[in-house]
Amino acid sequence: MMASPISREWTGIQQFPPATQTKMLELLGKLKQENVNSLTILVMGKGGVGKSSTVNSIIGERVMAVSAFQSEGPRPMIVSRSRAGFTLNIIDTPGIVEGGYVNDQALELIKRFLLNKTIDVLLYVDRLDAYRVDNLDKQVVRAITDSFGKEIWRRGMVVLTHAQLSPPDGLSYEDFFSRRSEALLKVVRGGARIANREMEDYSLPVVLVENSGRCNKNDCDEKIVPNGTAWIPNLVKTVADVVANGSKGILVDKKLIEGPNPNQRGKLLIPIILAIQYFLIIKPIKGWINHDVENERKPAWELWDVDSAGRDGHLSN
Amino acid sequence: MAATGHFLNLNRASSLTSRRNNPPRSRSTTRLLPPTVKCNLSSPHNNPRNHKPLNKKSTPPNDHDKPLNKSNPLPPLAKTLALSAATALLFNLASSFNGGGFSGGGGGGGAGGGGGSGGGGNFWSRLFSSPAIAKDDENDEESEDWDPHGLQANATIRLGKLDAFKRYRVSDLSFYDRSQRAVVGAEDSFFEMVSLRPGGVYTKSQLQKELEALSTCGMFEKVDLEAKTNPDGTIGITISFSESKWQSANSFKCINVGLMPQSKPIEMSPNMTEREQMEYTRSLEREYNRRVDASRPCLLPRGVKEEVLRMLGEQNSVSARLLQRIRDHVQKWYHDQGYACAQVVNFGNLNTKEVVCEVVEGDITQMVIQFQDKLGNLVEGNTRLEVVERELPKQLQEGNVFNIEAGKQALRNINSLALFSNIEVNPRPDENNEGGIIVEIKLKELEQKSAEVSTEWSIVPGRGGRPTLASIQPGGTVSFEHRNLNGLNRSILGSVTTSNFLNPQDDLSFKLEYVHPYLDGVTDPRNRTFRTSCFNSRKLSPVFTGGPGVDEVPPIWVDRAGVKATITENFTRQSKFTYGLVMEEITTRDESSHIAPAGQRVLPSGGISADGPPTTLSGTGIDRMAFAQANITRDNTRFVNGAIIGERNVFQLDQGLGIGSKFPFFNRHQLTLTRFIPLKQVEEAAGKPPPPVLVLHGHYGGCVGDLPSYDAFTLGGPYSVRGYNMGEIGAARNILELAAELRIPVRNTHVYAFAEHGNDLGSSKDVKGNPTAVYRRMGHGSSYGAGVKLGLVRAEYAVDHNNGTGAIFFRFGERF
Repeated sequence: MMASPISREWTGIQQFPPATQTKMLELLGKLKQENVNSLTILVMGKGGVGKSSTVNSIIGERVMAVSAFQSEGPRPMIVSRSRAGFTLNIIDTPGIVEGGYVNDQALELIKRFLLNKTIDVLLYVDRLDAYRVDNLDKQVVRAITDSFGKEIWRRGMVVLTHAQLSPPDGLSYEDFFSRRSEALLKVVRGGARIANREMEDYSLPVVLVENSGRCNKNDCDEKIVPNGTAWIPNLVKTVADVVANGSKGILVDKKLIEGPNPNQRGKLLIPIILAIQYFLIIKPIKGWINHDVENERKPAWELWDVDSAGRDGHLSN
Repeated sequence: MAATGHFLNLNRASSLTSRRNNPPRSRSTTRLLPPTVKCNLSSPHNNPRNHKPLNKKSTPPNDHDKPLNKSNPLPPLAKTLALSAATALLFNLASSFNGGGFSGGGGGGGAGGGGGSGGGGNFWSRLFSSPAIAKDDENDEESEDWDPHGLQANATIRLGKLDAFKRYRVSDLSFYDRSQRAVVGAEDSFFEMVSLRPGGVYTKSQLQKELEALSTCGMFEKVDLEAKTNPDGTIGITISFSESKWQSANSFKCINVGLMPQSKPIEMSPNMTEREQMEYTRSLEREYNRRVDASRPCLLPRGVKEEVLRMLGEQNSVSARLLQRIRDHVQKWYHDQGYACAQVVNFGNLNTKEVVCEVVEGDITQMVIQFQDKLGNLVEGNTRLEVVERELPKQLQEGNVFNIEAGKQALRNINSLALFSNIEVNPRPDENNEGGIIVEIKLKELEQKSAEVSTEWSIVPGRGGRPTLASIQPGGTVSFEHRNLNGLNRSILGSVTTSNFLNPQDDLSFKLEYVHPYLDGVTDPRNRTFRTSCFNSRKLSPVFTGGPGVDEVPPIWVDRAGVKATITENFTRQSKFTYGLVMEEITTRDESSHIAPAGQRVLPSGGISADGPPTTLSGTGIDRMAFAQANITRDNTRFVNGAIIGERNVFQLDQGLGIGSKFPFFNRHQLTLTRFIPLKQVEEAAGKPPPPVLVLHGHYGGCVGDLPSYDAFTLGGPYSVRGYNMGEIGAARNILELAAELRIPVRNTHVYAFAEHGNDLGSSKDVKGNPTAVYRRMGHGSSYGAGVKLGLVRAEYAVDHNNGTGAIFFRFGERF
């Protein structure tokens, strides 16, 4: 675990309603009991889905500049907050989609930023109020998978923002939510190459989030999503669950970023390969050439040799 | 009769008139000529105006007055060679005899064309003695004067009654076969024996000679010549004859009597007693048997002998006509096999159970290699004789029978040395050895040293787009060649090319090469050639190319400069094994010639970022490395009526030695398998149609260990997957290309349809920086299309399967 130099006291937690505060401290205490005193959360997703807003909501401070129409800063940002000996690091990343393609360069920046950090939880953020999924979603998931390995999805969860909506065409909210999350999970599983039989290992919980200031609140003044859950504690609780699910955090090291060096692979086998090439390719080809030389179709004049057997002078009936 | 019956000389030498105007009949006669065969190859560079080396760098287009083939290195030469070998072989039948005047009377003789000696076997003497009469006849043709016979019309006169001083015009000629009691037509094989022809003008003595010749040739038991006077003053001639016949034979023997004294004509004194005659005959027979024993067996194969036996068996007796047919049959076999000097000279042992066919096959008694200067004078050549000798087929050596095909082969082999401007392979009769042939090889050597400067001016737009004086750039090539060092065909050649002599560091390409053939000694049959060269080259890297729909990717130039030493062992003309060492420095540059350590890419915003895939192993833009190289090529392809069939397998290996920047250690290998499968059995002969051919091609390339991007395998391009640009499909560590092409011959060329596929086998990501993905390429792709071959150019329509769009391409040369 790394110690972040800009780890400040988590004052934002005090902004939360008391009920939320209680739940949060309870969860942090639980994590501490399990000897987890630091968490690093990576937030990724397409642009404009509300990644930064979600980070702001969790921290309870306006740490990330959010504007409605402008895309966020081009580089990843880390926010660290400590509370009662527990450190929470959240890494916000820029959207990795540009012009209909996954922006390799942005991804590269993120990878370099994450070097030597351990990712405990991945938040894959998308909007609840998007009606369909497309190939681009899959590409984004695949890019994440290719960058950090499939294992990261063991520590992954899907966050759906803009949760406060009225479902279209009389669909019940629950139905809409389950359809949307099902569709998205399918894409995520496809992009992460999670086979059906592996679904057990990759639980991929889905959490609803509403960052808007007009978010409904319950009696305790907690922000709730239409299904009645107070979403901030729920999110933190899910994070804690994911951390506790027995998998390991992903340490981003040089090897993970660059992949195995293909130039080193099999180098030790070269002498053996060379021997195989000599005995199984060059030698047989030489043999074929000799065969060709022997079986060359010679013109008749080369065959009528002075000493050929056919030269018996005499022939009679 | 018995005595004359023993020998039949078929080569009647007497001739009064030319048969030149009678091609169908003269054919068999001329076939009998022991020809002086002149295999005169004018090699493509024998133009006296420019004895210029062949292997030149390309000639600028404005460089007028230069031979075309100069700008192209070897392949076109091979083409021209095939052409000239086919066209320039002159079968110069310089000496004429026998059948008369075929090529204008030949040598000086005037010995009556051997007519007087009748069956006199020495045809070599005839070679130089041509009938004077025939010569006369040639010269004054039809226009000559003739005398009317001045006799009563429609009278039959015997030859003796003709006026010795008159020149009779023969208006018609007929042959009367007494045994068949019929007039025979011109198609009869005997017709060719007679050299008279209707419309000719002859004196009495000429007619007498003709008759004498006919009666002594052995073909006829009796021959008469009668003249009939016509009302118009001309005469008609009737030759009545009865064919010679001998007892039937049931065995056949063919002997080679070359290099033996020819059998003597039989002279029998008419005043011998019967007993003396018998004894004389017996001694002749004994002598003949000795001759047969002393002779050497001939080349005639069993099959042909059996055919002859069948011919003998079909008839009750051996007739002169039959012998003529046998002679033609035997000679046809020889000539078909290329034994152009072979000739049936005699039939012996007639009137026994066995027919002995005496053949002079044309044994080579000597082989001479001569050098000539430009004027054709004999000179001492610079080239060592062994260099030429090792190119000669052994069939051309002393003791073999001369074969024209061996001569042609020698010609082609010597020409491939590229040392001579003119090559002649010339068989000529050996004057000291009857029936022998001396093979003369006459060579004109090319200049040993040559140097050349070719220039070109290029005008580049100056300020404001207008050309100015300063914007004219002199460019060009300076090259030199020193050939045939030590007479052992060693050579040094060098060339420097630049597009701007004033500023040559911009793009200077040079090559200096030393070639040392016969590494194992010029007399050792092992054919290994040592080559060493310094070189540089500049190529656009196909690794840094965009995929479909990607805007221009900033190009990367790969400059290589280094030294190379290889040994090539030739197993056959096409199969060889090359191995050697290469040391080179590779520099990667961007468009503006600055060293580029990484590829560039265009950002979506339009900017250019220089953090693309690394171009070199070292990461600095400059790599140095040494590696071993081996290439084994097995190629047994050959042309069947113009279509190529056979197999070609190539395995190439570059083995890094761990010497150089970042200690590169790698094993980079490529295996190419190509099959040309004929889909139909066709007869192999000139003018016959070629078979349709199916071409199957597979190419695997792979690399284990350090792989800089310039050594990555690229997919796409005219020699990879057609229909794509170079590298448009991807650049990978391992690739597989598969292709099939069907060629259907049409007229003189062929049309073809093809399908190709290239695949990176998922190894694009194993190239550092994954250039395939960075430039948005698929990594695999297929194409199909069809095309037509127009001379050297292929015009084809290819559909790129990744895009689904097609385009027409024009390409030089073959894909496979």
